[in-house]
Amino acid sequence: MSCLAETATARSWLFRVVVATLFGLLVLPLAIVVATAFDASSAVVFPPTELSLRWFGELLASRTWLRSLANSLLVATGTSALSMLVGTTAALGLRGYDGRFRSGLVGLALLPLLVPGVVIAVTLLTFFSAFGLQQSYLALVLAHSLWATPLTFSVMQSTFARFDWQLHEAAMDLGASRLTAFRTVVVPEVRAGLVVAALVAFIVSLQEFVMALFLSGPDTRTVPVQAWNSLRQSLDPLVSVVSTLLLAAVLLLVLLGGALAGLDRLATDT
Amino acid sequence: MSLSDSRPARSLTALPARWRTAALLMPLVVLDGLVFLVPMGYLFRLSFTERTSGGAFVEGSWSLAGYEYVAETPLVHEIFAFTVGYAVLVTALAVGVAVVYAYAIWRATGWPRTFLLAGAVCSLFTTIVVKLFAVVLVFSPRGVLNDFLTGAGLLAEPLFVVDNLAGAVLAQLYIVVPYAILAVYAVLSTLDDRLVEAARDLGADGIDVFREVVLPHARPGVAVAAIVSFTWSIGAYPAPLLVGSGSEQTTAILVSQLLLAEFDWPAAAALAVVTVGVVLVTLLAGLWGLDDGGELLG
Repeated sequence: MSCLAETATARSWLFRVVVATLFGLLVLPLAIVVATAFDASSAVVFPPTELSLRWFGELLASRTWLRSLANSLLVATGTSALSMLVGTTAALGLRGYDGRFRSGLVGLALLPLLVPGVVIAVTLLTFFSAFGLQQSYLALVLAHSLWATPLTFSVMQSTFARFDWQLHEAAMDLGASRLTAFRTVVVPEVRAGLVVAALVAFIVSLQEFVMALFLSGPDTRTVPVQAWNSLRQSLDPLVSVVSTLLLAAVLLLVLLGGALAGLDRLATDT
Repeated sequence: MSLSDSRPARSLTALPARWRTAALLMPLVVLDGLVFLVPMGYLFRLSFTERTSGGAFVEGSWSLAGYEYVAETPLVHEIFAFTVGYAVLVTALAVGVAVVYAYAIWRATGWPRTFLLAGAVCSLFTTIVVKLFAVVLVFSPRGVLNDFLTGAGLLAEPLFVVDNLAGAVLAQLYIVVPYAILAVYAVLSTLDDRLVEAARDLGADGIDVFREVVLPHARPGVAVAAIVSFTWSIGAYPAPLLVGSGSEQTTAILVSQLLLAEFDWPAAAALAVVTVGVVLVTLLAGLWGLDDGGELLG
């Protein structure tokens, strides 16, 4: 009996070691990237030999990198706005629907997530060039919205599902128009969901790489594409710095999303 | 009040509701229609145009030349076979890791649970480029891990896990594993603790519980994890390009070469259509295999 218990404890320890290793493999490389951003030398070194913010200064002095930062923020803002509009209206429109109609539309929204990014990128590149739209901000916003919309839709859908819609009816019974009732009764209650959905869409666009690689041009290049271009040549400390900024944005999303909606919802809704 | 009296009144209130629904769904239909379905149709049409050395494709022509190229070029077969094998390998590893990790999140409480979950979510949202940079930095022959292992005397020679198949698989795992973890976890989080307790009370040990209760419950999540890992790896592009050697060529890399370097749009389009076909077949087979496939879309 004690022998059985011993193997059970050994197994449980083995399980813990395996999980800790997996967690380390998942997270430590990213932490190492951050650490290399704070080193003074002109090569990417770990562990850092001399702590310095030198490369953050170099980033601020580089016009190419600043341009790509501005491009990324612009595209992410546009994507967030467009996919919020599309995702929220779709979640409202499908509220109360079931069956084929619903799964058809949800399937349509999800399909772009399942088609390989390179294929969508290639398709949109050939399609947009027929209209002279290749390398434009609009092309990037539209492409990113294809991937951000299913996420805003799914977050808003589960947000609306938690709202007590009788309150909305009650407001209308009291004489408010449908829109006023929505603005004054529903919106304040679902504000957290709205913020999380908009943030998720923003981050998805900020971090998206494959479609941006094909669809951006020298003037519209986003940060991940710029980082890729310089990575293909050599390991550049500036890439560590922008990686740190991108990781900080993700951390902000996770902290804010966790505080507003709970980490569990952030993990399962998206 | 007879039935005939109430009918016009009902259809009057029903009509605006229907229009309202249509108006609310319009943005989604327009976006996915104009930016996804129509371009996909355009790609499909392109794949049936004639190939030419003078430009990208012959406008208005009909031809099967693109598909003939895909069907008859040995190099394309080789690359296609490699890509499928690569995707299967990545999928198997990703699902294995995801089940263990998601089970660990589900079992953990308090801070360990928060950290495990946050780690997966952070990795999920981090751009592919940063993850690939991290992989190169940590796993290359003169990288952090090899320096540590050889420095500590654990290894005499550095491990070569970059610029080869192992590197391409490892890098692709960093891209798909977070999605796989959360797909399994989303389903696992609906598992009732009492079911596990009941199994324990009936004398099951940890492994029995995992095999008899947890795994069957997680099945739909495992299926989604497998589908996502496979469809994303069949289209793998940046990971094999940056962390693989030249011989880890995938169909996605070939498609982009045909399109951008060789300017052979019919061949590129035909290969892309075939790739999408493989993805759709996998997807349908996966949905069909699950009895409650409809729920995946809900």
